[in-house]
Order: sequence, then C-alpha cells, then structure tokens
Amino acid sequence: MTETPDIYIRLESVSKAYRIAGQAIPIFSGLDLAIPRGDFVAVMGPSGSGKSTLLNMLAGIDRPDAGRVRIGTHQLDQMGEAARGAWRAHHMGIVFQFYNLLPMLNAAENVELPLLLKPLSARERRLRVERVLDLVGLSGRERQYPGMMSGGQQQRVGIARAIVADPGLLLCDEPTGDLDRTSADDILEMLQTLNQVLGKTILMVTHDPQAARLAKRTLHLDKGVFVEEARAPR
Amino acid sequence: MSMLLRQTGILIRVNLLSLPRRLAISLSMALSIALVVCVLAGFLALAKGFERALAGAGSPRVAVVLGGGTQQESGSDIPAEAVRTLQATTGDIGVVRDAAGQLVASREIVVAVDVETAGDEAARTIAVRGMDRAGAAMRDQVALSAGRLFVPGAREIVVGDQLAATLGMTVGRSVRLGAVDWTVVGQFSAHGSAFESEIWADLDAVRAAFDRENAVQSLRLRLMDPSGLGRLQARLATVGTVPLSALSEADLYAAQSGRTARLIRLFAWPLALLMALGATAGALNTMMSSVSDRTVEIATVRALGFRRSAAFVGTWVEALCLAAVGVVLGLVVSWLAFNGWQASTIGANNARLAFQLSVTPDVAVVAGLLGLAIGALGGLVPAFAATRLPLTAALRARG
Repeated sequence: MTETPDIYIRLESVSKAYRIAGQAIPIFSGLDLAIPRGDFVAVMGPSGSGKSTLLNMLAGIDRPDAGRVRIGTHQLDQMGEAARGAWRAHHMGIVFQFYNLLPMLNAAENVELPLLLKPLSARERRLRVERVLDLVGLSGRERQYPGMMSGGQQQRVGIARAIVADPGLLLCDEPTGDLDRTSADDILEMLQTLNQVLGKTILMVTHDPQAARLAKRTLHLDKGVFVEEARAPR
Repeated sequence: MSMLLRQTGILIRVNLLSLPRRLAISLSMALSIALVVCVLAGFLALAKGFERALAGAGSPRVAVVLGGGTQQESGSDIPAEAVRTLQATTGDIGVVRDAAGQLVASREIVVAVDVETAGDEAARTIAVRGMDRAGAAMRDQVALSAGRLFVPGAREIVVGDQLAATLGMTVGRSVRLGAVDWTVVGQFSAHGSAFESEIWADLDAVRAAFDRENAVQSLRLRLMDPSGLGRLQARLATVGTVPLSALSEADLYAAQSGRTARLIRLFAWPLALLMALGATAGALNTMMSSVSDRTVEIATVRALGFRRSAAFVGTWVEALCLAAVGVVLGLVVSWLAFNGWQASTIGANNARLAFQLSVTPDVAVVAGLLGLAIGALGGLVPAFAATRLPLTAALRARG
C-alpha cells in the first residue's frame, strides 16, 4: 500500500448502518473524506449525525460495512482487531470527553499506559512521561491522582497520554465538553500548539463553535453527510 | 511477551486497587469461599484426626492373630488349645522369642463397659482391655505417664491419658467397672492414638470380673521383622480346628480407620461441592459486577491498544486474589476452630474412641485448592466478558 503524499486520512465510499430491533438504521451511505497530514479538522453536527461513528472508524474501533478507511499507509477496514489495536498503540492518540483516566493510577502512571505497549525500558518511559507532562504544564504533579485534579488538569493528563507515544494522529472526542470556558480555552490552545508546532494531525469532534473556530477547517456532518466545509480564518 | 506482561501487570494492579469501590460484594465472595474451605477443612480434619488416632496405634512389627474368620477383635475368638499349640511351636515362625525361648506374646480380650461419670448425664462406653504383662511392652509408642503398670491378678487398671483427662481417672482413684471396683495405678500416653481411649488391666482379672473365663479374642505377637508375618501365617494354617488369621497391627487399625474415614469423606465432599457450587455462582456474580464497574477502564485501555488477553488475565487474577483471601481466611478459622479439637466416636470394639481433629498441611492444601478452584471457575466467564466489552463505550462513557 502506497501513501498518497498530501492526504493522510482518506475515507472512500464508506457505508455504515446499525441494526436496531431488526431494522437497519443507516449512518453513512458512501461517505468520502480526505484530510492532509498536519491538518486540524473540527467535525460538528447534531446528535445522531454520525460524529461518534466517524471517530470510532478512524480509531479502528469500529469497521465500515462497505468502503475504505485508510490512514497513512494502513487500510484499517482490511485489518483484524489485534492489528488495529497495535496500530492504535503506535500511530494514534485519543483524547476523551470525560478524560477516561484510571482513577487508581497517578498522573505519571496514566500517561505511561501507551508506552507499556512499546519496547521501551523503564527509564525511557519515565523520561518520556516527564517530558510530556512538562509539555502540558503539569510538571511536578506526576504523583497526583485524577481525583485530586481539576477537570482542566485531568484533560491535560489525557492529552499527555494521547501524545506520549508520539502518534501522528490525534482523535479528540469533545475534548472541552466537560470543562469551563477558561479550562476549555487552555486545552484548545494546547491542541493548536500540538498541531502547529509538533505537526500532529488532529480531528476533533465538538459541539462548541468556539472550539471549532480554532481548527484549520470545520466539517459539518448531518444525517451522515458532510454538508458544509468551512475554512478557519488564518 | 514482556509487553504483554507489563499490560497484564498494570491491569492486575488497577483491578486490585479498585477493589475498595466494590468492597462489600468482594468481601461477600471471599467470605463465601472461606465458608466452603472451612466446612471442607473441618470434615477432612475429622477424617484425618481419626486416621491418625488409629494409624498411631498400629505397628508393622506386631502381629495380631484373630480367630473365627473375622478381621476385628470384637468378633474374634481363639480357643485356648490353639494358643497353647502355637506357644509350644518350636523353630522359626517369624516371631521373637524371649530368653527362655518362649514366644513374646500377649493374649488379650476387650470388654465394652459403661462408666458412670460425675457431671456427665450419660454413661460412656469404654474399652477395657485385658492383657498379659508383655502386652504393654509390645506397644512401642506407649509410655507410662504416671504411676505403674498393673500387677498380674490384681484388680488394678492403667488408663490412657485421653480417658484420664476426660473422665478424671487419676492415679489412686477407685473406679467401678461392671460389678467390680478397680484401682487406678497408672496412666499411659500413646501420642493421642486409639490406645489412649482404653483401660488396660490384667487378662485374668478382666476375665474373672466380666465372666469371660478362658476367653482370648486376640493374640499379639512381636515379629522379628515385618516379613515375619508371612511365616506366622503359614504356621497358623496348621494350628487347631478353627480358622486363624494374622495381620499386622498397622493393617488392623488402618482397615478400621479406612472405613470410618471414607464414610466421613463421603459426607464431606458432596456437602462441600454443593456449597462450592453456590460459592462459584456468587463469585461469578461478584466478578461480573467487577467487570461492569470497570467497563470504562477496560474499554479505555483496550482503546489505547491493550490486548484482550491482558484484560482477561487482569480480571481472572482479581478473582483468584479474592479467592485466595477467602482460602486464607477459611484455613485460619478452621485451624483455630478445629485443630486439636477433641472428638470421639464408637470404635471397632463398640467402645468410645477419642481423637483430635487435625488440620494438617494436606488437609489445608485440598481445602485451599477447592477454594481457589471456585475463584478460578467463577472468574472465568467474567474475565471472558471483560474481553468482549464494546470499545465504543469508552469514547462516550464518563470515566
């Protein structure tokens, strides 16, 4: 599989339907999407429009019924579950709306989780964890547990966990959905830095128009179709 | 492999650290397993204690000759003529002879006697063993712990320590056995074996007191070595008109203990397994609740790329750890409650046989393994369920 130079994420004729009480409810019918490497895309849309399904397919957690999902050189729809898990561990970070930190592990241990899937020594892992915690402004809080942190701080830990393995792609699911405005702005600024300085490709699902404005472009998804594309002002 | 171990290790840690969130249901699982372990350990300790009491009584270097085709002393009868014929035998019949060339032997009878005890509403049936003077010396593991042995012909008795302790038959006291008063002149210890539940007296004195003139139920003979039993059996085939059989004292008591111990275990295992079935269902319920409680955590790490096998092992180990807590608790309680506990039953001579329950290492291992098996089985389905959680939940659930 060869990689198209400027397109990092490509969805081609993707169809997906869920079966509820024996009835097929279509989510996507022939959805296409192309996102270049280093882009920062916000996906907006009403509930039930298919944002989560899109995110799940891009994360390799869900598979399309038909069509192709390709990220970099990897065609996810052709890969088995174990291979998709391994791919996630090496190429993608996920930022969750509710942080999804493990409450009985401290910040450093939470951030270290993706590194346990890589052949790194304990010292290498510790150095990387310290570096990313410093990057998200949590230096000195390595031993703090999620329960001792504010929502904004927990989301920073979540971002640190998402980038610690140095993935090319960040998938963010409503990363500011559970935060107050100030904390949300901090997190958005951080994502912007990760995109602009570190060159991470970011796809962010959000309901927040202010968050979407910070992305390079915004895709509106409605009833499984991208109905509008807006370029963020530079 | 090391990465899988690291993944598994961190998930085990996460699961165990999150136990306080599910304290009540986790404790109930551990307690139900502890109960099963306790019940099984109690029954096995009972069987083990009984076996020990009888195994400790038998020596492979002592032959017991029985007459009348029975394998128990209570139904045996050896004609006096057969005893005389055997004692008159010359040559090597596998039996040790004394300085005078006589066989080292003890003619014995056992009489079951009801004993009234102070402060005890029911009379107890005690085995009174009449024996020749050589009889006491023939029991290697027996030692006088107080007083002296009986004098031939006298109405004197020596009492096993178990009986002396429970019935207050101390040296110097007079005890009525049957229609006759006897004086306690000694106490003996037999390391808790079945002998300690007996009263010993002179053979002729017992015969006279209980109207058993000339009766001999068993003849104990000191063997040169265990292989001497075969030569003795060959000689017995030619003695007298009634069939005589000889077996080692060890085999005699092993056969007696085997029957009763098998019976105890026959009750123990179905009961324990039935309880184990209930405990397994409880364990399954607890672990399903644990998996449900950790849905977000399991799905999160799997979304990060952790393998299904790590989620499986992490959940299974949690079940095993809870089971291990139950096993330790059950064994500690059963050891405190049962080990050394005095029990008694009716022995082969229709008399009371006292013994101590023994929670031995093998009892602990068997009961412990059953407890762990409950955890292993009860945790299996939930562990599998942990690997089948829909990952999409992780992206939307509040962690």
